Order: sequence, then structure tokens, then C-alpha cells
Amino acid sequence: MSLWKRACLYSIRKKGKTITLLAFLLVMATMMLTCLSIQSATETANANIKKALLGYFTINAKHLESGIPEDAVSSILAINSLSGRYTLRSYSHANYYDADGKPLEINTEGAAQVPEGYENAGKIVANSNSQEDSYFTDGGFVLTGGSAVTAGSRNEVLIHEKFAQHNGLAVGDTMLLGNVSENAHTIPVTVAGIFTNTKEQDSIGIAPSYDLYDNIVFTDLSTASFLLYGDGTASSQYGDFYVNDPDDLDRIMTEVQRLPGMDWESCTLTRYDNDYQNAKESLEGLRNIVFIAIAVVSVICFLVLALFLTLRLRGRVHETGVYLAMGISKGSVLLQYLLEVILAAAIALLLSYGVSSAISNQIGSRLLSQVTTETYEAVDLTGNAESGGGPAGDLGLSEIIVAVSAKDYLTVWAFGMVLCTASTALAAYPVMKMKPKSILTQMS
Amino acid sequence: MNLVIRAVLYTGRKWKKTLLLFCLLLTITTLVLSGLAIADAQEKQTEEVRGTTGASFTVERDLSTGGWTSGYSTQRFMTEDMIQKIAATDGIAGYDATLITLPRFFNSKREPLVIETNFSCYCYGSYNSQYHELFLSGRFELVEGTHITDDLTNGAIISRQLADQNGLKIGDTVTGIYYPENNTPAVDMEIIGIFDIVADKGDQINMYDDASYYDYSNYIFCSMKASEDMLKGWGEDSDGISEAYFYVTDAAQLDNVIRKVQGISSIEWDNFKITANNEVYQNISGALTDTSSLITTLIALITAVSMVLIILILSMSIRGRKHEIGILLAVGIAKPAVIFQYALETFLIAIVAFPLAYLASQQAAGTLGTLLGKTVENVIVTSQHFTLVAVAGSILLAAAVLVSCIPIMRLKPKTILSQME
Repeated sequence: MSLWKRACLYSIRKKGKTITLLAFLLVMATMMLTCLSIQSATETANANIKKALLGYFTINAKHLESGIPEDAVSSILAINSLSGRYTLRSYSHANYYDADGKPLEINTEGAAQVPEGYENAGKIVANSNSQEDSYFTDGGFVLTGGSAVTAGSRNEVLIHEKFAQHNGLAVGDTMLLGNVSENAHTIPVTVAGIFTNTKEQDSIGIAPSYDLYDNIVFTDLSTASFLLYGDGTASSQYGDFYVNDPDDLDRIMTEVQRLPGMDWESCTLTRYDNDYQNAKESLEGLRNIVFIAIAVVSVICFLVLALFLTLRLRGRVHETGVYLAMGISKGSVLLQYLLEVILAAAIALLLSYGVSSAISNQIGSRLLSQVTTETYEAVDLTGNAESGGGPAGDLGLSEIIVAVSAKDYLTVWAFGMVLCTASTALAAYPVMKMKPKSILTQMS
Repeated sequence: MNLVIRAVLYTGRKWKKTLLLFCLLLTITTLVLSGLAIADAQEKQTEEVRGTTGASFTVERDLSTGGWTSGYSTQRFMTEDMIQKIAATDGIAGYDATLITLPRFFNSKREPLVIETNFSCYCYGSYNSQYHELFLSGRFELVEGTHITDDLTNGAIISRQLADQNGLKIGDTVTGIYYPENNTPAVDMEIIGIFDIVADKGDQINMYDDASYYDYSNYIFCSMKASEDMLKGWGEDSDGISEAYFYVTDAAQLDNVIRKVQGISSIEWDNFKITANNEVYQNISGALTDTSSLITTLIALITAVSMVLIILILSMSIRGRKHEIGILLAVGIAKPAVIFQYALETFLIAIVAFPLAYLASQQAAGTLGTLLGKTVENVIVTSQHFTLVAVAGSILLAAAVLVSCIPIMRLKPKTILSQME
């Protein structure tokens, strides 16, 4: 009888044992596969945390003749591992006129002084998204009517409620912004929104008239670019560029400074990754814990598998003796045992792909649902407390996918097979060493 | 023969098999124990990460309820007593408040300090300057000396530039005078720290408050007491602390801490309002929760798998003793006695394996960590873990023996013995 046949027959005849072995191998393989998929999922989660800590660098190109041109922005964004999130900003001053070119009135009450030439002028703040400007995020400004100025806006402004009232302006009206140094240089703009301040200005008495909250106008980058550089492009003075991994900040900043076409000597680059630096050590600790968990599981899995296979073979000492007595060579007996295990292992590994994929899916879906419920969980604070920040905006985080990758699957196959072979051979060794006679005379 | 003796004899006679079972039990128990310790460590570590997000709440004067006179709010200021009461609440890691003055500073020879651009310095009276927004955000970095703490009465922290321009060093004394023309007192302060300016002052992004009109190098942090002293005789009534910042140890507990603070009855909350600030935590909480639920799932998986493994192994080991059961039954030993004997054998092994697993698991994570060059400190196997595993493990073992015996026990000894091995 060929050893193949023997191996198959044994597996079929001893259904109970085969099923136990199969179940054992299936459980082990599934556990290993699921562990690996969880591990790569935690890597994604970790990368998400790093990204959500919002490390960024700022380019200050205020002293450049033409600021940061649009094509420089796109070549910066083309650099690897920038998250794609960025803010461009410009600051200037402008004279305010109505649509007919008549000067508009500004507020001068509380101003330290009204500088000459600024009698009808105010501060111009341009941001790729006015809602993200520090006046709105930290200074307590809120939009009361109309809509914010965004990257797509052209010739739009936001004006202060009081300024609007004073000059009879409303959303949709047109006014003119004029360059403070050259009066001829004006640009017509539409009032897209009205804002007001929720905090009192604390620099009353220190600030010059143009810095008073009432006199500030927010606009889009191209309008500011026209006022600053006198052209129709959308250059900006400052750019904040966010990165995926704050650890890469240094490399990225060096790369940025090597980009051609800009006088980087005159620019200031500053890195802002304090939140990441604070959390860095603890995050690393968390990562290590995951790593150790996976390591402990793997090592122990191997030990258990080896022990189990040994235990199983020990129950077959008698059988081995019979085979040897029948004149079957030691090699083919060993090979038969190996075949049995490998046969079961192959089936178990095939099945485990399906099982662990299903489990991973289950884990993954639980994760997503957790995220959504948490985001929508209202901050319920009784009394007069307000919730700052609100739910996190879209940070462009990657979806965490818990799935069995081909690479992991192959690794488990390879390790599984090697382990099965090695431990079977090892377990069979003491039995094989004996003579059939001494085996058969042993008491079972 | 007594079943206890039988159990002991079997265990001793089949020592190789016993050893194998022992090793299996030992490794599996070690796995579960390490798993539990890792789950706990993960929780601690996640809490630590949450702690680094600088979640805080601000208590400020509620200007909407205080009334106004000539452009100034008449709302009352915060008192030190009130700030201390809030700071004493559980879950608060640190606090700071600011009392801003614009004094001129003089050196020990009464010469005014040389400063950039401005006429005076911008001086923050502070309780714990390490919790000041400018330091927390990384815009300033303390490079020499120590931060101002609430037990100091006359400390000051100055910028590196100011120190260099005026030849000042730590330990020197400077004098601040707010309004010389109003006879406010001269307050001596000792320089206890020097900070570097990390942020780019040329960036106009911060130009929305009065501080932005001062050069960063002219910023001075001083003890709250010194700041209050400088105001003496001029306007304690019209100037005071209008905002205080409290940082919590665990961002996830921010809401609870705020609720507790709102419950402090001696504070008239009509006059003050609380604003929560946990933007950083909100940004990462999703991904952080994912990480911790992934690890928790992993541990749950390990535990479940371990239980299955133990059942499989025991059932296999008992299946191999079918013949023996037949003989035992044939010699007239009662079925429960046989089951009890097997259970006893298993417990004999477990009683050694469990404590050893406790010792092994205490080493496992640390050793593996060292081997792989990672530091793991928080993975600690506690006696609670051990108790849990020992109790649950024993129940599981007993159940597993019972379940594995059932199919054989249902048969008659004759049927068992006539079956081919």
C-alpha cells in the first residue's frame, strides 16, 4: 500500500482525530491571520493619529516681491507625504469706496491713531478659507449673514456688521477696494457675507484705526494678490502646509527649500508640530504594546502548535511499531505522518482565509460604527458651558481596513507548513529511534 | 485503589504525556495572562496619549451678565480663592491664569531695560507658566531655569533676546513699574527662567489681540503676586484676572470634570462661563478609539482561541484513553469516579502550570520587548489577572474533561473493549 493511500485512509478512518487536528490547525491559522490583519489595521490607525495631530510648516514669503505664486504652491503640494491640506494667507491694507468711488466711512473710536492716508482704509485679510482664519478660530469672529470666502471665490469680501450698517451695505452689494499707496488702483468686490465679533477687542487704545475689528475686511487670495502685487494671479504671502507624518517635517522642509523658482533665502519656514511632539512618546508606547501583543501571540502560537503535534504523535507509538514490523521503512512512516498533517494543514489554511476574512470584516465594521456614533455624540454639558471645537472636521484620514492581505496569507502558509513539518519530524524522532520489538513490547 | 492514588500514579507513570500537557497548559495560560496585562497596559497607554492632547477648559468672566460702564464691563473678576478651588478638583493636571500689565522694567542700577520697538514690556502675571498657551503651543520654549509656579511670589521669565541685550542672567533682579505717574509701587523680581522664541513673529496670523502689538522679545512672565503688586494703588478694581485655564489629565474625562467644577457651590456661576477646548483630542479620538478597540478585540480573540485550544487538547488526550476507560469500567469502577480521576489528573497539572504561567507571563512581555528592542513598561500581570485566569481556567478544565468523557461514557465497557484501537 502506498504511503499516500495509507495517509488518506488513516485520515478518513480516524475521523474524530482528523477533525480535532483540522479544528486545531484551523483555529491557529485563523488566529494568526486575524492577528496580522489587526496589526496592519493598527498601523493605519496610528498613521491616522499622526495625521490628525496636524503637523505643518509655514512659509512666510512676506518679503518676496511676488509672494508664493500658484505654481510654487502646486509644486510644494506635489512633494511626497504632504496631506494635501493647506491654507494660503495674505494681509494688506486697502481704501474702501462704494460702487461709485465715494470713500466709505470707517470706525475711528477707540483707535490709538488714524495714520495718514488710512482715513478710509482698513486691514485686508485673505485666506483660502475665511472660516479657518485665526480671527474666526481664535478671535471670536462669527459669520452672521451670507457665506464664507473660500478658495473658489473671486472678488468677494466679508465685512463687519457695524461697517455694513454704517455704510448701508448688505450682502450682494458692490464696493471697491483701493490700493493705499496708489489711489488709482482699485478693484470692485461683492459683499458675500457679514461677520461680527463675539469677544471685545482687547487692543482698543493700542491699535491703529485700520486694525479695529469694525474696519477689517476678509477677501479671497486673488483680490489680495491684486492689491499686493498688482496682478491678476493668486499669489499669497503665507502658506501653511500640513503633512501626513510629522516625523517627515524636516525632510519635507528641506525638499521645499530645494524647489527652484523661489528665493528661499528671503523666506522664513517654521515648523509647527507641538501637538505631535507632546504625544509622540505615548504614541510610541501604544505602538510597542500592539507590537508586543502580536509578538507574544506568534511565539506562543508556534509553541502550542509544536506541543500539540507532539502530543498527537505520541498516541501512535504502537502503530509505528506495527508499521516498522511490517517492513515499512522509517522514512516512509515519517512521510506518511507528515502527509497526514500537511493534508489537514492545507485544508485548514484554505478554510482559515474565509474564516479570518469574515472575522476581520466583523471587527472592521464594528470599528466604523464606533467612529460614527462617537462623532455624532452630542457634547451634553448642562449649565452655561460651551463646547469648543465641536466634532472633528474632515481631516482626510484613511479608512481603517481590517483585511487579510495576500502577503500575510502567504506568510502564514509558509510558517504553518514549516512548523508542521518540523514539529512532526521532531516528535517522531524518539519513536523512530527505537526497534519495532521494543516499541511493541512497551505497554500502551 | 483509591481514585486519588490512581490519578497520581497515572500522572507519574505517563510523565512524558503529563509533561506535554503541562507545557501546553503553561503556554496557553501564559498567553492569556499576557493578553490581559496587555489589554490593561493599552488602556493606560491610551489614557496617557489622551493626556498629552492638552485638553482644557477656560473659565472666564461672563461679560453678557455683568453690565457695562464707559466701555468697560463691570463684571467681577476672578478671585484667587475661586481659581484654587477649581484647581483642586479631581482630574485637573494643572492650571494657569493671566493678569496682563504693561510695565517698564529696570535693572538693579535703576536703568530702564533696552527693549525692541515698544515703549513697555508685555507682562503676563502667571500661576504656572508651563501651562501658559505660549509655552504649551510651542511658540516659546523655556531653555534655561525653571517655570513660574504658584508658590513663587516674585519670579520672572524673560526672553533670550532681552537677557542678551541687557546682560541679564538667571538670579538677577529686575524691577517692574506699571504707572510711575500714578505712584504704583516698584516691584522687584528675580529672573528664574529664560525662553527662546520658536514662533515666527513676522507672521501676521496672530494679529488679532493687543499682545500682537508687542515684540515677542518684550514678553515677560512673572508671578501672579508680582503682577498684582504692580497694580496696587492704581486700579485693583478695574483690573484683575478675567480668564483662567485648567488642563485635565484625561481628555475623555473633560466633560465630567467640567460638570464637577460647575457643581462647586461657592462660585457664583452666573458671573462666569466655561468653555471646553479639546480640539486635538477630538481630532485623534476616532483613530485612538480604533486602536484600542483593535487591541481589545485581539485580546478577546486570544482568550477565546485559548479556551477552544484547551478543550481540543483535553478531548484529544482523553480520546486516546478510550481503552483504559473500558478497562476501568469493566473492573467495576463507577463512571463518576473515572471522570473525577481524569479531572483530578488535569488539576494536578494545572496546579503547577498556573502559578508558573503567572511567573512566566510577568517576564514574557518584558523579555520579548527587550529582545526586539522595544520598551514596554506598562505591561504588568496583576494578581487579579491571575485569580481570574485560575478560576475561569479551572472551570473550563473541569467542563472540558466532562464534555470529552461523555461520548465514551455512554458506551458499555464491552463495546469499548471490542472496538479496534
